[in-house]
Amino acid sequence: MSVNPMAYEAQFFGFTPQTCMLRVYIAFQDYLFEMMLVVESVILKKLDGFPDCKISPFQIRKSTEKFLLFMKEHFDKLFSKMEEVLLQLVLNIPKNVLLPEDKVHEEYPYSKEQFQALQDEIHQLQQQYRAEASAGQALRAELEEQKAVRAELEKILQWFDGLDNICREHGTGNFKESFAFLTQNSKKLQDVLKDIEEKSKKIKKHDQLV
Amino acid sequence: GGDGGSPVPAAPGRAQVFTTVVDTFLEKLVAAGSYQRFANCYRCFYKLQPEMTRSIYDQFISQLQASIKEEIQEVKDEGNLEVLFNSLDKIVEEAKDQEEPAWRPSGIPEEDVRSAMVPYLLKHRSYLRKVLKEKEEENRKVAESVLAGRDRIAELQQLIEARKHAWQ
Repeated sequence: MSVNPMAYEAQFFGFTPQTCMLRVYIAFQDYLFEMMLVVESVILKKLDGFPDCKISPFQIRKSTEKFLLFMKEHFDKLFSKMEEVLLQLVLNIPKNVLLPEDKVHEEYPYSKEQFQALQDEIHQLQQQYRAEASAGQALRAELEEQKAVRAELEKILQWFDGLDNICREHGTGNFKESFAFLTQNSKKLQDVLKDIEEKSKKIKKHDQLV
Repeated sequence: GGDGGSPVPAAPGRAQVFTTVVDTFLEKLVAAGSYQRFANCYRCFYKLQPEMTRSIYDQFISQLQASIKEEIQEVKDEGNLEVLFNSLDKIVEEAKDQEEPAWRPSGIPEEDVRSAMVPYLLKHRSYLRKVLKEKEEENRKVAESVLAGRDRIAELQQLIEARKHAWQ
C-alpha cells in the first residue's frame, strides 16, 4: 500500500493531515488514560473511608485495567473510522482542484524551450534598445555641433550685412561696385604691368641680339 | 423560480463535516463506555457504593468529553481551520467543471519556478517593446532635425559664397 504524502494538502493547510490526526490521536489517548487514573485514585480515596471493606487496591487496579482495555479497543476503532473520513473528505484536495496560488502553472505552462525563447527575445530587445539609445546620443551630439557651426556662419553673414548697411548709411551705394571695380582694375593693372614687363624684357633681348 | 441568490451547496461544507464526525466519534465512544460497562468492571466498588460509582462515572465521562472537545477546538484555532475549510470548499466548488487532474508541484524547483516567472518576463518584454518603439520614434524625429540642420548649414554656406563673390 503506497503512502500518500499529501504534500499538496500540506501546502494549503500548513500541516500534513496525517500529522494532525496523529497529534489528535495522542492527545485523546492521553486524556483517556489521565481520566482513568483520576477515577482510580478517587475510588481508592473513597475506599479509605471504609476501613473494614474487603476490597484491595489490587482489585481496583484490575478493574481499571479491564475498563481501560475495553475503552482503548473501541477508541482505536472509532478513531480509525473518524481519521479515514477526515482524510478523505475534509483534509484533502481533490485531484482536479488547483489552488489559486498555483494559477500561473495553469496559465503559463511554458516548456524549457519556450521559456528560453522568451528570455532570448528579451535579451535581444535590450540590445536593440541600447543601440537605439547610443544612436540617439550621436544624433543629439551632431545637433549640438550644428548649432555652433550655424552660429558662426550666421555671424559671418551678419558681418556682410553690416558692411552693406555701412555703405548704405554713407550714401556710397556704389561703394561695393566701385570696390569691385577697383579690385578688378588693380587686377587689370597688374596684368598690364606684367605684360609690359615681359614685352620690355623681349625688347631688351632683341636689342642685345641686334 | 429561484431567488437569484448564490447557489446553496448541495453537500455540507468541510467545517460541518468535521464537527459532525468528531461529535459522532464522541457519541459512539461514550456509548461504548456505558455506565453498565463501568459498573460491571468496578463491580465490587459498585456493590459497596452504587451512588458514588454513578457520580464518579458521570464526572469521568463529562471530563473526557470536555477535554476532547477542548483539544479539537485548539486544533481548529491553531490551524485557522474554519477559514481554511470554507476557503477550500469555495475553491473546490469553482473547480467542479474541471475534469482533468490539475497541476501538481513536480518536486523539481527549477521546473516549477519557470511558470511562476513567466508573467514577470512577459511584462518585462512588453515594457521593452514599448520603450524601444518610443526611442525609435524619438530618434526618427531627431534625425529629421539633423538632416534639416545640415541643409540649413549648406544654405548658409551658399549665401556666404554669394556675398563673397559680390565683393570680388
